[in-house]
This record gives sequence, structure tokens and C-alpha cells, in this order.
Amino acid sequence: MGSIHPISSLIREANQIFLQMGFTFVSGPLLESEHYNFDVLNVPKDHPARDMQDTFYIKDTPEYVLRTHTSPVQVRYMEKQIKKGVQPPYRVIVPGKAFRNEATDMTHEVEFTQIEGLVVGEDISLANLKGTLEIFFRSLFKGAQVEIRFRPSFFPFVEPGVEVDMRLVGDGVPEKLKDKWMEMMGAGMVHPSVLKNAGVDPKKYQGFAFGMGLDRLAMLKWGIDDVRYMHSADLRFINQF
Amino acid sequence: MADALTFHAFEIDGVEKVGNDDVLDVKVTPNRGHDALSHRGIAKELSAILKLPLANDPFAVRPLLAPVTTDVSVELSSKLCKRYIAGYIKGVKVGPSPEWLKTRLEAVGQRSINNVVDATNFVMFNIGQPLHAFDAGKLGSLKIGVRAAKDGEVMVALDKKSYTLNGSMLVITAADAPVGIAGVKGGMPAAINETTKDIVIESANFNGVSVRKTAQALKLRTDASTRFEQVLSPEVAAHGMQAVAALIVELAGGELAGFVDVYPELQKPMFANVTVEKINTVLGTALTGADIADTFARLGFAYKEEVGVFEVQAPFERLDISIPEDLIEEVARITGYDKIPSTPLDEARGKPPVNPNFYAAEKAREELVAKGYSEVYTSVFADKGERMVLNKVDSVRPYLRDSLLPGLADALAKNKVNKDLLGLKEVKLFEIGTVWKGGKELVTLGTVSEKPARPDDSGRSGGEKASEKVLEPIDATKYETLPLSTATRFEPFSKYPYIVRDIAMWVPSTTNEQQVQQTIKEGAGELAHKVMLFDRFEKAGKTSLAYRIIFQSFDRTLTEGEVNQSMANLSAILVDKGFEIR
Repeated sequence: MGSIHPISSLIREANQIFLQMGFTFVSGPLLESEHYNFDVLNVPKDHPARDMQDTFYIKDTPEYVLRTHTSPVQVRYMEKQIKKGVQPPYRVIVPGKAFRNEATDMTHEVEFTQIEGLVVGEDISLANLKGTLEIFFRSLFKGAQVEIRFRPSFFPFVEPGVEVDMRLVGDGVPEKLKDKWMEMMGAGMVHPSVLKNAGVDPKKYQGFAFGMGLDRLAMLKWGIDDVRYMHSADLRFINQF
Repeated sequence: MADALTFHAFEIDGVEKVGNDDVLDVKVTPNRGHDALSHRGIAKELSAILKLPLANDPFAVRPLLAPVTTDVSVELSSKLCKRYIAGYIKGVKVGPSPEWLKTRLEAVGQRSINNVVDATNFVMFNIGQPLHAFDAGKLGSLKIGVRAAKDGEVMVALDKKSYTLNGSMLVITAADAPVGIAGVKGGMPAAINETTKDIVIESANFNGVSVRKTAQALKLRTDASTRFEQVLSPEVAAHGMQAVAALIVELAGGELAGFVDVYPELQKPMFANVTVEKINTVLGTALTGADIADTFARLGFAYKEEVGVFEVQAPFERLDISIPEDLIEEVARITGYDKIPSTPLDEARGKPPVNPNFYAAEKAREELVAKGYSEVYTSVFADKGERMVLNKVDSVRPYLRDSLLPGLADALAKNKVNKDLLGLKEVKLFEIGTVWKGGKELVTLGTVSEKPARPDDSGRSGGEKASEKVLEPIDATKYETLPLSTATRFEPFSKYPYIVRDIAMWVPSTTNEQQVQQTIKEGAGELAHKVMLFDRFEKAGKTSLAYRIIFQSFDRTLTEGEVNQSMANLSAILVDKGFEIR
């Protein structure tokens, strides 16, 4: 028997958990237009995120980038639903690759995997985000008690925006993770302009979104000390999973 | 304080001890650069969070810029400057700053220059308004202007470097000669030094995007430009001028001749409305009107409440407040995110559809894993391909791959040398990944294995077998429940090469074979990383056991000599047990 990649295993598990909560698995292109990667997500033209050092631009294809996050799929998905005449509620996850043009080290990779979550409805709240993430982490870290906490943060495509920390308490938690607050993801309530850009009426609907790094989650779950193993194609790593 | 800020406002990057004091390094979010890149801004936050009124708010009273002087004139020729205040002080005595000022500036990583320059920096850090002081005598004229630079216009800045400007940049001029790059840096010719007598202070408001582009183009980011590019309220300029003029007169003496304030279009008041109901639906809370009113009062927001509707006017410096959601965020963070309950989503309506691409990928994974293939992720960046990345930091492999196979071939070569260590007879790999080919983005499935499937494949280099095909979606009504990784913890592995030795022996058929393996593991010493039984047969009441031992160290490359020594020790132990080494 061979092994699947640990990130593939995590995506499989995430899909199993979120499926139970009614989420649809969707995907989108890696080579993405600036329109979807930035404009519709409320990232203004002169925002530092558009600086050359962070984003990979493509030669002879102006206005295209390697997507810097999985968030463009939020708007792609909503647009498609609206075009089909399907109004919210929506519940989707978007596991997939994203890219940042930076130097690599033990905790930074140019290519990484994220999971995006989006829930839109008439009364979806920040409390629902907390509840949903608690269920996810509780299932993922079986047997552990999970605590979630929010800290204020800023991402142009959510308002309010939060940083999500998670802590595992109780028995059955690996000693290294026990009782320690860990920064897991950025999240928040979908910015009304993002809903509007996707054709969803922000007066009627609201929702939450989150974007979590799966490489980091894998590192925490299995005690992996270097993110560069993920793309090392080294079976000394992969065959352990 | 760090906790108060962390959970209600901003992340803290560090707390550093400086003398008897602590310096907080606050990571101000980009939406709050308008008001919070200053000590006053942070103090205001703390005051709202901790419910402690500010003892002295520099923004509390509208500044009176009096007297007005006619000695200096200001002319704005660009809309990119929303306000320009010049302050004229005569007869200053430039010298070293007092200790308290030096200490404070040094605590925030600034170098003390002289009392006048230090005063402008102090006020900037204090209330967030960038300021600049010109030597009035060296300006050559007190006719100050703000205009677009001319293409090719050259100015030597305070860093003594010469900058070539263009028409998209804004300059400050004296009698039309450039004396400063607006919002970025002052010019060398009018620098303050010990000979300076009269000074003109600038407290202005420049367009954020313009300053940002200029600073980028000139590769000259300064404390001033980082503040202007966040967009500041033109109202702050008046507070900055009043504070700096007072401080300079206090530190360097001189006589305030007066101010000139050119402010063509007043900042409009900012109103936003939100209902109690909307706040509670978005946050999932049960806050009352009184809770919400408390938040606004603590933040110093003017508000009116009528039948559950709040009409809020944000203070002039809070340019981030414009829509109801902005107010909701203020309520959430000031009352505290810990007050937000955890509420699971309602039961989902209907069953989510199956993603045909993910379904196909999962099916392929299971089939290949059963055949002994392991899944790798390799880089999308390649030596060749149809599309090229413009700006790769390390500039190696700048193309987007058009096939998975070269990456898989590299991976195969890399893993082949570890076959014994991995306990594999043959290395077999697969990847499900994105390629860019024929003008399209495709997800393909690539496989590679060491041995050719058919003898006629053996002509290929290394005799490998490789294949790649587009992963075709599969429609399904439900997902299979596939196995997850059962690993609990990742075991680090040595990055040093390993040495393999085999040992075979006859043992009596009554021997406990597990014990033998244990004996070998111990007998081979601590350098023995792994022991595997690879052959076993029985003959004439005896059993032949053959073991493969992998020697490897975590901290060095082993020598043949030391491995031979370990094997000799092991043989002696086994012979001692009465086993017959073959």
C-alpha cells in the first residue's frame, strides 16, 4: 500500500466533516484574474497586497495572477448561483492551492493549501462562525475539547474581520498542543460590497467566510516542524501518513 | 495593556523593556492607519477599551491658528493637497533636545537630531500628523507652493541623495524651486542646522495614493509617507501645527510670527446608521440599546438613538467609519469578541451535490494507493512551460509547468536512493495536480514507477514507466467514506545517508524469532536505525533468517569502518547465542 499526501488526507477529512454540516465542495482556477483575486474582494487598486513582492504576475497576461488566496472562489460561486437563479442559503468549502511570492523558510512556502469556507443566508452570524469552527476542530482533533476565540483583525473582504485562535483542552490532546492558543485563520462577516459584487442582495443576506491554511493545520495535527516537507515529494515524509 | 489591545483592537508584535519603561510594538491594521498610527490614537483606543477617560485629548478642542501672518504665502496648484498650513517662527535657537525628548524618541527607534526637528518628529508620533521644518533663510523666498513636479526635475533630499522627479509626483516649492517631495521627504538646501534663525513649519494633507506611488517610485519610504499613504484627515493638520509650534517655541525659543492655512474644501462630517436588531443578527448576540450606546460613548462617537436606530457621527480622524458594518465591528470589539456565543448552523436543507472533480481525484487516489503508489505534491514552477511568471523572488524555475512528469521524474530519482530505508521494492509515485497546456488550465493525473510495465518500455531513460492523463470528472450521487491517515505524530528523519548491511543465519526451529529481531536491533548498536526480516525458510529442522539492517545517524554521515565494527559486534553476539551465521 502506498500513502496519500497528508494534505489530501486533511482535505478528505475536512470534506467529510463539512459535508455533514451541508457544505458543498467547490473549486476554482489557480491562474486567476485580478478582478476575482482582488477587485471584487474589495481590495483596492493601491492596496499593499497588490505590491509586486507578494503576488505572482504572469508574463504577457496582464491582469492575471496566481491566486493569492482561495477567496476568489467565494464570488465565482455566488455569481454562478445567482446566474442559475439560485438565491442563498449557500454553504461551501473551497480547498485548494494558493501562492505568495516570498522567500521560503520553515514556516513559509510559496505554494500552500488553504480551505475557504463561505456561508450566506438571511441570519448567518458571527456566532455561527464560532459554532461551525468548533464542530470542525472537535471532529478533527477527536476526543479533545475545543475552545475558539476571536481577535479583531482586518481583511478587506470581511467586516467585522477577526483572527481565529483555537485551543485544545482535556484528555487525549498531544502534550505539545494542550492548553495552547494557536492562531488558525482569518475570518469574518462577508463585506456587503463582496455580496453586492457577486449579485447577492446585502440588504437581505449576510454571511461569514474563513480562510485557513491547511499546511499549518497539518503541521499542528501531526507535529511537522517544516512546511517545506509538503512539496518535497519525499516518501520518508509521505509514507508516514 | 497588551491584552486590552490584542483582544479589542490590534495585534501586539512585541513588548520591549526600555529603561524603566515598556515599549509596545502595535501592529496597526491598514483600515486604522488613518487614526491609530500615533500615541494619541493608541491611547484613545485604550481609553475606550478600558473605560478610562483620556486625561488630556489633544483633539478635544478645535485649534485656533492665530495669529495669521502675511509674511508667508501658500499657493496650492494641485487637488492632491487638501490642506496646507505654514507656521512662521522667527529667532529660534537650534540646539540639542532636552533629555526627556531624546529618551522618548530613542525609545521608539528614532535618532535625536536637534530640538526643532525632534519637535516635529515628536508631534508626529504623538498625534499622527507628519510635519516638516524648513530653514526660512535658506528657502530663498517665503512664497510656498504645492505643485506637480516637472518631468526630470531634480531635488537633493535630506538624505543627501538626489532624486529625479516626474509629473505624477507632488513637490513643495519656494518661489517655484522644489524644496520638498510632498509627504515624503524635505529637501537638503533648506535643512535645519545650528545656523538656522527663522523657520517655516509645514503641516499639510496630501493624497494617500499619490504619496504611496511617489514613495514607491523613488524607493523612499519614510515615517511621513507611511502615514500619508494611509490617508489622514485634513483636520489633524491643524492640531499638528498648533502642537508643534508651541513645542518649538518652548524648546528653541523664538517668536511665533503666525500661520497661513489654505484649506479649500472642509472635510465633510461622516454619518452611519445601524439598528440594534442588525447588530444582533450579524453578531449573533442579544445586546441592548444601552450596551451599544456605551460602546459609542467610550469611542467618543456622537450618536442619536431613536426606536432602535443609531445615527452615529464618527470623529474626524476615524475615516474608516462609513457603513453600518463598520459600526457593528466597533460594537463587537469594544464589548469584546468573547461575548459572542457559539451557535451551530441550522440543519442543512437538502444534500450537498458531489463535486465530480474531487470525486474523480479521490477515486484515483484509492486505486493507486492500493497498487502501492504514494501521492506527492511537486511544485507548479518549472524550467519550461507555456506561461511564465514575471516576478519570482528566487527567479529559478519561472515557468508554470505544462506536465507533471518532469517533477515526478525528479521525485522518483530522489526517492530511489532511499528505497531500503523506506522498505520498498520499487518506488511508485503519483500526483494529481494543475498544469497549463494548450492555453488551458488542466488538472492531470501523473504516475511514475521504477520498472517498466512491459519489456519494450525499457528503452526509456532509466527504464522508468511514466504516464499522464487529464483527470476526467466523475458524476456521483454520494461520496464514498474513504480512509483517513492513521498517523498520530510525524517522526523526524535523518538527512544523512544510510548504510545497508544484510545478515543471515541458521537458528533452531524452536527459536522465538521476535526475540532474534530484538537481539539484532540491540546488538547492532545505536547506529542501527531499522531492522527488517527479508528472507525466511526452513530446512532440516532449522530456520534460515535473513535480516537487512539500516545504519544511519541523525547528526553525521557514517563511515564504512564504524558500520563494519557494529556488524562485527553483532556477529559475535549472535554466535554467542549459538546461531550459525551464513
